[in-house]
Order: sequence, then structure tokens, then C-alpha cells
Amino acid sequence: MNSDTILQVEGVWKKYCRQLKRAMWYGMCDITGQLRLGGREPAATPQLRKGEFFAVRNASFEVRKGECVGMIGPNGAGKSTMLKMINGLIRPDAGRITIRGKIGALIELGTGFNPVLSGRENIYVNAAVLGMGKREVDRVFDEIVDFADLHSVIGDPIKTYSSGMKVRLGFSVAAHLRPSLLIMDEVLAVGDIAFRMKCFNHFNTLTKNGTSIILVTHAVGMLPRVATRSVVFDTGRICFDGDVQQGMTVYEENLSVRATQNRPVTQSASVEGSDVKARISLVEVRDATDNVSDSFQTGDRMRLVVDVQCVQPLDSARLIVAICSPRHDELGSTSSVANDIRPNLGVGTHRFVLEIDRLPVLMGSYYFNISLYGAELTDYQERRLGVGVFKITGPPVDVNGNGLYGTLAFDHSWNFSENIPAPLANGNTDS
Amino acid sequence: MGLKLEQHETETQVDGVNESADQHANLITVYDARPDLSKPMVVFGKIVRGFVDGRELAWRLFLRNLRGMYRQTLLGLFWLFLPPIANTAIWVFLRSQNVLKFELEGGLSPTLYILSGMVLWQSFIEAFQMPLNSLSQNRGMISKLNFPREALILDGIADLLFNLCVRLVVLIPAFFLFGTSINPLGWLGGLALALLMILFGIGAGLILAPIGSLYQDVGRFISMSTPFWMIVTPIIYVVPATYPGNLLNWLNPASPLLVAARDLLVIGETLHGTPALVYGLIAIPLLFLGLVVWRVSIPSLVERMPA
Repeated sequence: MNSDTILQVEGVWKKYCRQLKRAMWYGMCDITGQLRLGGREPAATPQLRKGEFFAVRNASFEVRKGECVGMIGPNGAGKSTMLKMINGLIRPDAGRITIRGKIGALIELGTGFNPVLSGRENIYVNAAVLGMGKREVDRVFDEIVDFADLHSVIGDPIKTYSSGMKVRLGFSVAAHLRPSLLIMDEVLAVGDIAFRMKCFNHFNTLTKNGTSIILVTHAVGMLPRVATRSVVFDTGRICFDGDVQQGMTVYEENLSVRATQNRPVTQSASVEGSDVKARISLVEVRDATDNVSDSFQTGDRMRLVVDVQCVQPLDSARLIVAICSPRHDELGSTSSVANDIRPNLGVGTHRFVLEIDRLPVLMGSYYFNISLYGAELTDYQERRLGVGVFKITGPPVDVNGNGLYGTLAFDHSWNFSENIPAPLANGNTDS
Repeated sequence: MGLKLEQHETETQVDGVNESADQHANLITVYDARPDLSKPMVVFGKIVRGFVDGRELAWRLFLRNLRGMYRQTLLGLFWLFLPPIANTAIWVFLRSQNVLKFELEGGLSPTLYILSGMVLWQSFIEAFQMPLNSLSQNRGMISKLNFPREALILDGIADLLFNLCVRLVVLIPAFFLFGTSINPLGWLGGLALALLMILFGIGAGLILAPIGSLYQDVGRFISMSTPFWMIVTPIIYVVPATYPGNLLNWLNPASPLLVAARDLLVIGETLHGTPALVYGLIAIPLLFLGLVVWRVSIPSLVERMPA
């Protein structure tokens, strides 16, 4: 293990069983297996027993000193299981995890709090649970209270605190741990925006002082503020390890694919009991050179090709196309009627093309929901969801306030005027 | 869990904000799939380290529970003494109603005899149930944070000893009330045996706790059988002198240490020293075995605890 490496995960596997009774029995077997004296060397790839599945498969990565790694992935991808193994709560079924230095965990804020005890007393209890001694707490006690901004109520029972105040207190205690590696699971959404900014600054100070951080979050929008690298999990595997923005794109791509898989891609009118006259038979995303593509830059030209196959004539056909992102769902939609396109379709296959001159979205993954109607919205034919998945790979966004950020790209320009006249005394500048 | 702790004491730096981080900078921790007992001495070392590192946490948890338990009451800490006082009053009342028929040699009070037995029985059964209760009460903490698991046992022991002390404080006036003098040597021996009895109970409880955490049948069975177990333990009667009654004193794990401790406390001597000695000798290895089972099984239990 390199002296600069704080965490090394090598070929780690973890299996679980979802069936309650079987899991209980396997628990008994595992415990008796662990109690066997001089046990055997474990296999490199563990064998699954009946009803088991791999929650983590052959995961390997490293975290170096002062790095902040965002661990992202959809629910059930294996992030929290990996975090539990790193934290030593559960053992890997194969592979090896090596940690240099003390590990601190912000998994559940306020663990050990007793509601009838005061904030002051609970700070000592919570700190002891997190591994801080009394002298250590005495030294940082004022900092903890300052950070939580709870001076006036620190002597009151915490049952009188709001939920936000409790979480702030829990976070403040945990944030004052001084570990070599700090692991956090879904704790970035703490408190109001001002407190959140304070937390981000604190994390940045920690990493500058050499503490490494692994944070698991679904709030990927916040990730670039603190993370220097991302590790993306999908179905137990690490599918990306590298740049934060690229990781977010991969994550959203995976989410888009899941969105497509998890709901019916097609909802046809026949389901609702009316006759189906036409169906969407093809959806293709093409670039400026008319080649099929799934990778674009913000501002690129895109052509969305939609073929409609009619089995009966359909009068005044209209197509409604919505562009969506896994983070925000529907961003906006347009109807062919907006361009006076409402053709009478005869039996056969027909093509609609949506020309987008300048793609108005920033780095991330996106997809389309497409609906086909007749003359009225009640004349519904078919809807295709999560189709035409594409990703925007650049230009990079900037979370530090130096460029573009968010989802939407809009044409704009900045102007600046020096030494403009002072506003009127009453402050009314509207006139 | 194949966990290896290597602490190199050279290069340790202590300064400013990173004091703790630097103190542990050269500690290497390895988690792998090798069975814990592939290196038994490492497990032993981890248990010892767990007790040493978990002292402060155990103390904090003990204080938290004690303060939290009575803060929302009018009578406060007086509630600690009320249950044993009420318990004493019940037995005094029963005796006054001639419900308790048996007599003891030397004019000793049967009420005091029963009271002492009850105090010891409560300590034993609490010790036996403590590990399983601790697992279920601290489930959230255990499944989310990696703290020395032995801290929970220390917290439990502190709680047990505290409760025993409170009960003994109430028991002492009862000795004067029933005109029985306190034999200091007898009390010393009785308390030593009571301690061994508590350790025996904890050891047995630690071995059962993982099974009880997986299968709720264990907890239910213990709750259901506790009254029956108390009846077959010679608390409200003397140990039968003849077979098969006297055999029960050997076979019932709650009985030998309890009976001998009670004899020493009340009479100052015991005729049941041999079974007490045998169970006293079993208590320490049983406790150690329980500690190994406890430490080794917790990761497997955490896997099966709700997230």
C-alpha cells in the first residue's frame, strides 16, 4: 500500500439474501463458520447460496490522502454496502480492504441522543459513540456549538429542538471528528442553505488538512462543490472511476436506462380501450451530419427522427415530444402543432423530424418522452417513454461560480458599466 | 472478520488541528473474508482492546441511561430505591400473613432469606438477559457505527452492578429489621460469589444473544420461562437435602452460585460450596467464550439488521 494511499479496496465481493427465513439460517451458518478455529482461506469469488445475490461484485478502488470521493449510483447499486464494509460494520465475502489511520463515519446523525437530556449532555454522548474522548470534546465543545449555532438552547432538552436543530447538532459533533478517512452516507442535505454552505467549507478545510472523504449521495448536484473524484456504482459493480462531471453523466445515463427499464416504454391507446390507428415505430437521435449518435455537446445541432406506422388513416396527427432528465424529469415539451404540422396520415409509415438547432442543456444524461395523438388530445394513440437516450459530454460546468452550472443552457451575454450614477435616496430605481 | 491492527509508534506527530488524525496516521486496519478465529490471539487482542477503548463510551452510555430514565419524573432518583423497597414490603407482608411456613435453623428470618435470594435472582436474570436486550436496544447504533462492541457489555455490567448496589442498600436495613447481624466475611464471600454469578449469567447470555437476535423465539422463550425458572431455583424454599431435589441444585445453572452467595450473606457459611465452586470455575471461561461469540457474530448480525 502506497504511503499516500488512505484506503485500498481490492476485489471486494459481498452477497446478501432477501428471503427473511433463509437469511436468518445463513446468519447462523456464517456465525458458526466464523467460530471455526483456523478457518480456510476464502475463495477469490464467493459461491452464491440459494436465494442470494451479489450486492457488490469485484470492486476495486483507492482513495489518496486529501481526496474527496463521491460515491454515486442508483438505489441498490451497492454504495451503502461498500461503505459498511469500509467502516468495518460487515465483512467482505471476498477481497480485501486496507485502511491507513483512523476512520470516522457520518452515517446517522445524532446517534445515541437521549431526548430528555440537554444539548450539552448529548454532545458528550454522541461524541463518545463516534469515538471522541471527553478531553477531545472539551477542547472543541465551543466550536461544535458555534458550528451548530445553538448557543441559546444548548442547555435545553433536545426534545424541545426542531428536527433541523437536532440534525445540525448531530452534524456539528460528527464534523469535528479528526479522522484520516471520513465516510458520509446521505448527510449532505442537512439544514438550510447557509448551514449547507458552512458544511461544504468545513469539508474543504478537512481535505486541505489531509483528511480523505468518501461521500455517498443521491444529491449529485452538490457533488462538484466538494468532491474531487467520483466512483459510480451500478448493480454492484464499479462502472466508472474518475472525473466528477463525467461520473455524474455516467450516473444519469444509468438512471435514464433504468427509467426506460422500470416503466413501460410503450403506453398504447388499446390499453385504454379505444382503437389504435397508428404506432410509433422508430425513434432515432441523429447529429448534425445525420448520423445516429448518443453523445453531444451543449449547443450542438440534433435531429430527433420519429417514424409513425398507420394501420388505419389518422387525421390531423400530432406528435408531442418532451425532453427529460433523470434529475428533473420533464424539462420542457413541444408539439408538432407549434409548427403547424398536423398531417392527415394514410395507411403506411410516415416520418416526423424535430430539429433542435442548439441543444439547450448542460452536461448530463437526457431522454425523450414522445406521444402521438389525432386531432384532439382525447384521440390518443401511443406514448413512448424514456426513448432516444443521449448524453451531453461538454463543455464542463463549474460549481465554483466561474462558468455554466445546472441543467439549462440559455443564449446570453454579459455587460458591465463602470461608475454608474448612484440610486435615488428613496432607493426606488424602477422609474 | 480477518482484521489486523498494526500500530507503528514511530512517526507519530501531535500538533494542532490534526492531532487525532496524526495520532492514528500509521494504524493499518485490514478487513477481509478470513474467519476471525483463523488467528485466535488476534481476536483475544481485539476483545481486550475493545474493553480498553470502550471504557469512556460505556460510562457515557451508563450516565445517559441513568439520567434519562428519571429526569422526566417527580421523584427522580428515588425511583431507584422504590422497587426493592416495595419488593421487601411484599415479603414482609406475606410473612406477617403466615404464607411462608418454613423455618430456618438458628432462628434466622425466612423473610430475610427470601429477600436476599430475590435480590440475587434479579441480578442473575438481568445479567442473563442483558446481552440480548443490549443488542436489540442499540440496534441502530450497532448497524450504523463501528464503535468498540465491548462498550455495550461494560455499560450492561455497570448497570447490573449499580442495580445490585441499590438493592443491597435496601437489604442492609432489612437485616437490622429482622434482627440478623451482618457478618463482614460472609458478605465478602457472598458478594464475590454474586459477582461470579453475574459473570456466569452474562457469559451464557452472550452465547445466546446472536441466536436470539436472529430468531425472536429465543427472547420469547426466555420471557416465558423466567417465572418457571425462578420457581425451580431455591429462592422461596431451602435446597432439598434429598435426591432428586438436591440434584436440581446441581443441574440448574442459576442455583449453585445463588444459593451459596445467599447462604454466605445471611448465615455466614454454606453447605453448598462444591457446586458453587464448580460453577464459579466455569463462569470465567464461559464469559470468555461468550465474548468471542459476541465479537465474531456482530458483523453477521449487522448484515441482517434493517438499514
